[in-house]
Amino acid sequence: MFRMGKDDHDAIRAVLAGDKDAYGALVVRHSASLFRVAFRITGNEADADDVVQDAFMRGYRKLESFESRSNFSTWIYRIAVRCALDKIESRKGLAASRVADETDLGVLDVQVMDESAGPERILLSGEMTALRQVAMGSLTATEQSAFVLRHMENRTTEEIGAALGIQPNAAKQAVYRAVHKLRQRLAPLRANA
Amino acid sequence: MRQLNAMDKVNEMNHLSEEDMILLAYGEGGDSAARHLESCPECAGAYAALKGDLKLVEQVEPPQRDEAYGERVWLAIAGSLPVYRPARRRWLGLTPVWLRGLSYAAACAVLVAGAFYAGRLWEQGAKKQPAVAANRTPQAAQKQGRQPIVVVVLGDHLDRSERLLVELKHADPDSAELAAPLRDEARTLLAANRICRHKAADEDDPELGTALGHLDRLLEQMANQPGGLNGAAIARLQNEMNTDGLLFEVRVLRSRIPAEQHAGSANEKGGTI
Repeated sequence: MFRMGKDDHDAIRAVLAGDKDAYGALVVRHSASLFRVAFRITGNEADADDVVQDAFMRGYRKLESFESRSNFSTWIYRIAVRCALDKIESRKGLAASRVADETDLGVLDVQVMDESAGPERILLSGEMTALRQVAMGSLTATEQSAFVLRHMENRTTEEIGAALGIQPNAAKQAVYRAVHKLRQRLAPLRANA
Repeated sequence: MRQLNAMDKVNEMNHLSEEDMILLAYGEGGDSAARHLESCPECAGAYAALKGDLKLVEQVEPPQRDEAYGERVWLAIAGSLPVYRPARRRWLGLTPVWLRGLSYAAACAVLVAGAFYAGRLWEQGAKKQPAVAANRTPQAAQKQGRQPIVVVVLGDHLDRSERLLVELKHADPDSAELAAPLRDEARTLLAANRICRHKAADEDDPELGTALGHLDRLLEQMANQPGGLNGAAIARLQNEMNTDGLLFEVRVLRSRIPAEQHAGSANEKGGTI
């Protein structure tokens, strides 16, 4: 269906010359990797699917600004990270009041776990997952994205800054703040770990 | 060498900050920080605690996507992407110099004549232009080979979104037959809304972008509700998605569209963005 033999730069040249379908090869080639980072940042499949589509649409419209010396996978990855950032910013904006209620540490009470694997442990595991999600939800969109890129995608400070469109030092500070907040939020788990 | 020794002493005396330890944990800390850990049990303990906490935030393994995923993404977006027009004609590069010069001269002459003629036409047609723009459909604009601008009838989109929001607001969660039409309409509007959002972002219109972002969230939930849109989901959306606020935002946006772009018959509603 698509000319998979072509490399990314050939495909981009073809698109800019009027062959829209050549972009399909790029989409097919890079969708899975974009989905992975989008899922890690947004935390759910539906949002990640949206981010992948948004990223490729945004990338297509900006294709004329793509520099031939650059690597398309890095370029589209950065666009996807920005799209994911926008997505969680809009989600956090909508749910701001609800998140504030849910992240009240007083409300969260984690039971001390028992070492045996059983229904109680499964239940506790669910609570731990919920606590982690709430902890991640307490971060700003930038902090959450920076932390995911650092902790799960193993990106350097410079790469995080470039992906989020901020200075490396700001990226470093975002990671610091994220780790600091997460440690505070996850304190109840520490005793059980 | 003396300077390095002095720094080492300072490092031995000053404990590592949390920031130093975070850098170190992610492999970006310096050698001096690592050496300090070896000689300072207090910092070593704090560092071990940090590493333990980071382990609590487990690596999220994304769900697998099958091999056809990329093709599905492409099929979903291909329809809304315009075709790029080639930037220049390459045959000029292969012609002799004298012929190339002649070609440029001829092209200049045609350009001057064309500009003159276009100027005359512009003067005559200036008053008619808004009506033409309002009547142009996205398909017609693309067929005419315009710049790759996505033309969307924003007014019509907002009208339909407003109707959907009103229907959702007044929908009876116990009435099962309402769910399917609401879901279908949300799916249709979702694609148009996405194009509008991209255009709003391109044109740096944060107010429009934010409102369409809110609308997007609601449409997405209506269109892709797990297990389908049912009475319980409708009731939840009515309670959680602030439909009143969204309705207000949509009405404000619609009021921004010039009157001539959404006046007239239903088919002529809307303007280009």
